[in-house]
Amino acid sequence: MPTPIAEGWWRLFRITGGVEVSHVDLTPDDARETEAYARLDESERERCRRFQHPGPQRRFALCRAALRAILSRRLGCEDGRLAFGAAPYTKPYAVLEGQPAPIAFNVSHSGDHGLIAVASKGRLGVDVEERATRHDLDGPIAGVLGPDERARLAAADGDEKLRLFFYFWTLKEALLKAIGTGHGIEMSRFQVPKNMRSGEATGIFRFPHLPTATWRLESLDTKDFAAALAYDVMPDA
Amino acid sequence: MATTEERIRKLVDENLEVDGRPMGRPLDLNSSLRDTGVSSVDFVAFAKLVAQEFNTSFSAEDCANINSVGELIAFLDARS
Repeated sequence: MPTPIAEGWWRLFRITGGVEVSHVDLTPDDARETEAYARLDESERERCRRFQHPGPQRRFALCRAALRAILSRRLGCEDGRLAFGAAPYTKPYAVLEGQPAPIAFNVSHSGDHGLIAVASKGRLGVDVEERATRHDLDGPIAGVLGPDERARLAAADGDEKLRLFFYFWTLKEALLKAIGTGHGIEMSRFQVPKNMRSGEATGIFRFPHLPTATWRLESLDTKDFAAALAYDVMPDA
Repeated sequence: MATTEERIRKLVDENLEVDGRPMGRPLDLNSSLRDTGVSSVDFVAFAKLVAQEFNTSFSAEDCANINSVGELIAFLDARS
């Protein structure tokens, strides 16, 4: 087992349906960033160097090092034995001894917050967004929300409109990340479940073009960020 | 007449930010916009701006297949 980090920058945030979600603190911290960088392999350090801005570089290093620590503990292996591969549309997976590791995970970060979702099997997606004020939300609203979702936003304004936008965005982004196609599916072509459009925190979802696959969708919103988790409901669950 | 690359660079300079600040450095055509740290929300808004500027549209498959700024420019040139 790897040696636990005395002061990790991540902590368990939520356990739901066999999925563990950890929160990663991404605020600037020289000591943590140095330790995180030391835990990366050479390909990850190379990726770090490609970032043109310190913020994204810091978020990647802190999140990837936390992911390494969480996965290696779950898998009972040394941190350095883990590697990562990328599936089509760049959804990464863990590799151990040259084989895909028996673990599912997904990572998201925004601003000072990262989330890492881990399960022993299945497909899952997580998304987190700081509710930053945008120059113009109208473009994303038209491009990613369905008609009922847009109607909810049309009835809101100010902070509530911003909250609702990121609520819908993170739910839909989590679903796209779970299915592993990124933006290969147009976000405006599907809507979050009706009960969640009305404010309930959890729901069951099926993509219109994939009605046989069932997804559990859960809002993880806090006052500091919008976030959501999606994972497939296994037939034997 | 500005080239596609010049028009894209202008759109990037005027519209994309990282951590609330302009991109600030010359854009590497081989780089992924996601690796620049642009948020996913801004990324989608930027795609809409590009579609308007070039009077075109992006299918979901297009979005999945365009991975770098250079590939975006090649895609737009092929449609012009």
